[in-house]
Amino acid sequence: MSRRKRMLEELDQDIRDHIERETQDNIERGMPPEEARYAAIRKFGNVTLVKEETREVWISVWLEQLWQDIRYGLRMLRKSPGFAAVAILTLALGIGANTAIFSVVNAVLLQPLPYPNAKRLAMIWSTWGNETRGPASGPELIELRSRSHAFEEIAGIWVTSGTITGTAEPEQVRLAMTTANFLPLLAEKQQLGRFFAPGEDRRGAAPLLILTDGLWRRQFGANPAIVGQTTRLNGNDFTVVGVLPREFKLLFPDSRMAEVQVFIPFLNDLEKQSRDTGYIRMVGRLRRGFTVAQAQSEAETIASQLRREAKEYAEQSLHLSVLPLQEDDVRPVQPALVSLFAAVVLVLLVTCANVANLLLSRSGGRRHETALRAAMGAERRRIVRQFLTENILLGCLGGTAALGIGWAALKWILSLQPEGIYLLVAAKLDGWVLAFTLMLSILTGIMFGLAPALSVARGDLVEILKESGKATTTGKPWLRQSLIVSEVSLSCILLVGTGLMIRTFTSLLRVDPGFHAENALTFQLSFPWSRYGTVESVTNFLKDLRMNLAAMPGAESVGGVSHLPLDEGLGNWYSYYWAEGAPIQLQNTVMADHRSTLPGYFRSIGATLLTGREFEDADDAVHTHVAIVDDTVAEQIWPGQDAIGKKLSVEDSPAGAFQFIREPVVVVGVVKHIQAHSLTSKGRGQIYLPVSLAPRPAYSLVVRTTAPMQTFAAYVQLAVKKLDKEMPVSNLRPQMDYIEKARAQTRFVTVLAGALAALALFLACIGIYGVTSYSVAQRKREIAIRIAVGANLGDVGRMILRQSGLPVIVGVVTGLATALALTPLLSGLLYGVRQSDPLTYAAISLVLGAVGVLACYIPARSATKVDPMIVLRSE
Amino acid sequence: MTTKEEKERIELLQGTLDLLILRTLLLGPAHGHAIAKAIEFNSDDVLQVEQGSLYPALHRLIKRRWISSAEGTSENNRRAKFYRLTVKGRRQLTLETGKWDKLAGAIARILRPAKQGGKS
Repeated sequence: MSRRKRMLEELDQDIRDHIERETQDNIERGMPPEEARYAAIRKFGNVTLVKEETREVWISVWLEQLWQDIRYGLRMLRKSPGFAAVAILTLALGIGANTAIFSVVNAVLLQPLPYPNAKRLAMIWSTWGNETRGPASGPELIELRSRSHAFEEIAGIWVTSGTITGTAEPEQVRLAMTTANFLPLLAEKQQLGRFFAPGEDRRGAAPLLILTDGLWRRQFGANPAIVGQTTRLNGNDFTVVGVLPREFKLLFPDSRMAEVQVFIPFLNDLEKQSRDTGYIRMVGRLRRGFTVAQAQSEAETIASQLRREAKEYAEQSLHLSVLPLQEDDVRPVQPALVSLFAAVVLVLLVTCANVANLLLSRSGGRRHETALRAAMGAERRRIVRQFLTENILLGCLGGTAALGIGWAALKWILSLQPEGIYLLVAAKLDGWVLAFTLMLSILTGIMFGLAPALSVARGDLVEILKESGKATTTGKPWLRQSLIVSEVSLSCILLVGTGLMIRTFTSLLRVDPGFHAENALTFQLSFPWSRYGTVESVTNFLKDLRMNLAAMPGAESVGGVSHLPLDEGLGNWYSYYWAEGAPIQLQNTVMADHRSTLPGYFRSIGATLLTGREFEDADDAVHTHVAIVDDTVAEQIWPGQDAIGKKLSVEDSPAGAFQFIREPVVVVGVVKHIQAHSLTSKGRGQIYLPVSLAPRPAYSLVVRTTAPMQTFAAYVQLAVKKLDKEMPVSNLRPQMDYIEKARAQTRFVTVLAGALAALALFLACIGIYGVTSYSVAQRKREIAIRIAVGANLGDVGRMILRQSGLPVIVGVVTGLATALALTPLLSGLLYGVRQSDPLTYAAISLVLGAVGVLACYIPARSATKVDPMIVLRSE
Repeated sequence: MTTKEEKERIELLQGTLDLLILRTLLLGPAHGHAIAKAIEFNSDDVLQVEQGSLYPALHRLIKRRWISSAEGTSENNRRAKFYRLTVKGRRQLTLETGKWDKLAGAIARILRPAKQGGKS
């Protein structure tokens, strides 16, 4: 910039001088000074125009030279097609891997969520004792909404399941109840019809319903006249008021949210509900000008007011936390994606080192050409520029090829279909990705090209010219060797990371989650309020179904539960418990999941009953108040004692679903803890209640069977249809599916990391091989002389191996040390393996060392095949 | 004052100005004004350079490394920018002069075919 300014000033000065002289000449010819000046200016012409034209010349010459350099570069590449092919392919692999991973990172982490004013949307979590991401109760939402200034809207949603009937096939659907303002927060406008209007989410309001595009197409044949018609949901008539846009998706930090198909308003006065029943997810839109931090501190203030005002809030020690929606959404996948992105950057560095090495080998031959050009008056800056142009050109050629590789790699990544990365489907090669790839191509061009360009442009002209075209070593072997060291150590870091991921994955395969999913078939049923209004009707249906299924060939045992382990499809229920008679204080109580459980459940999923018994059909609300706890709860409430026969205060609803009261129950069994939410963390303890004490609107049934899954699945369909024609069966699948799903993210990261590490290893091998063969070629003469004067062939081979192998060893050592320092960053992804796992480190150093030495060995062996007579004669 | 009739003056062809500048500088370094004067004078004022148009041409030559510029002092002890032919420029001049001669010869032959009886 300043260079340009200086040139402009100089031009100005030059023109002023010129006019001055002409004026002087005119005066000498006898003109009066004033006239002389005018004549001079007239003769000069339009000064502004001249300046403009001059500036254009600068630009056009610059472009001309650029074009010259590009043509020259292309010619040089054509002259050495082998070099060009290897360099472009290497770059295409390195940049292409980056293109693919970046398009994932871009779609998931960088692009704003597809909602209007997405940046102002935030989740508001209710903290409940030690549970920091809890749902809110109805009154909590209403209080917060009326007191908050930071939020212009606060909406709530609760997801359950429902049954749509009256269409061709009854279908169990994921159903969301929302406040009226919920959908307008997330969608600009409807595809058809309207949103819910304010006030339509109150008790006594008409039952209305909004469909997602998917369900509208599948169940209603995309009928455009659907708005205004009624449809039967859970046995009641609802009027359809709208259809959501096709691209609408609920991207909330909870996979079951993404599957919602039907929205209805809360047909209830939220403020009148109980303060200690939290079930609503709150999302709010910040008022313009308010930050998340301000909203957070306001929410805290409101929470402290609420704690003072109502004893329920004080008891649960209510706090509120505000998190940007996007941040909250990507929370589970961010560490994995960031690590993968770091890995792919390492691959790019290896690529750059590799190409830099190639260029260095080649620059030996080009030093003479460059020196000649310098001697003929080319400026050093111009030569460096030409080299840089050539390298950036190479980078861009690689980048273009990288788009193809990136596209294929992205297709492959998408085909892995990792669970839980909802935004991944949006990953594509869009403008952002293209811009990223272009930037990377130019950047790599500069990175791998600068060192060789400078090393060429430097150097003593006379010396080089005296060498007169002989292929000579290019001064600095240490530069190449340090490139090898860095290539090897970068690959080493990647390999260690991958090794740790593989160890994590094998730990996941071996983990005992407390149940045995093999040979278990599961399915889900939901019981609409209208047709199953009493607890008896539900228990009777389930009893009949169990008996019918147990009679089928191959059935070993049949059971069921309100929430299957590792199934995030149905809402999780949890609450506080305490030993009967203990003072009601948070420190005396235990937070545990509670499950409504059918007889035969523990046998069916292969859990271990430690003491006591399972539930029986006789365990109903009228006769016994019983519970089964897991060893975690037993140990927390009655440490060191036998839990059987002890009394526990629980929240149950013997009078029907959702009518909670606190009652004492007697523990009749202790079961080994089941990991309900993740394979890698134990999670809360669990308390199991019989169906009659804690009825739920939906159940998952589990059948342990020796029959093939397909066969038994057909029995299930028949058995359910026989009992209730309108009862849809959903999620009919082997229980192993849930385990696979829980392993999916680790599998995804492991597979990608493995691919990247393999790529880096491959590139590093090419680099080592290339450098060693180059140095062997350079030293042919020396080797020939050594052999001619009687050196042992083995000695020669060992000498080459020693010299080329050293950087590999140094690279492995520095790589291991760096990896050791970096692995703590991976801690969130690892399970069942120490960050400094000696086995991984040992295996990686062996593999890398062996591969590296092999890459040296091949060219070293060829050195011993040198025929001294031929080499020496050719000199 | 030496002025010629307007119609006898010739507008310079694209690119020829560059050639003229190089030729002028062959005699030694000069500043912008001097170059313009020299071109006018050496062509008996037939070639009329709009003096301003000299500058884009000079800069083009600098950018191509055919000439270089340096600060110096002129005859009457004033500071001025002097332009000087480079090695590359000298080579270019030879090249361009050759090309020009060929072009001029060819055009001349087309416009004025050899007279009958003239030397062959």
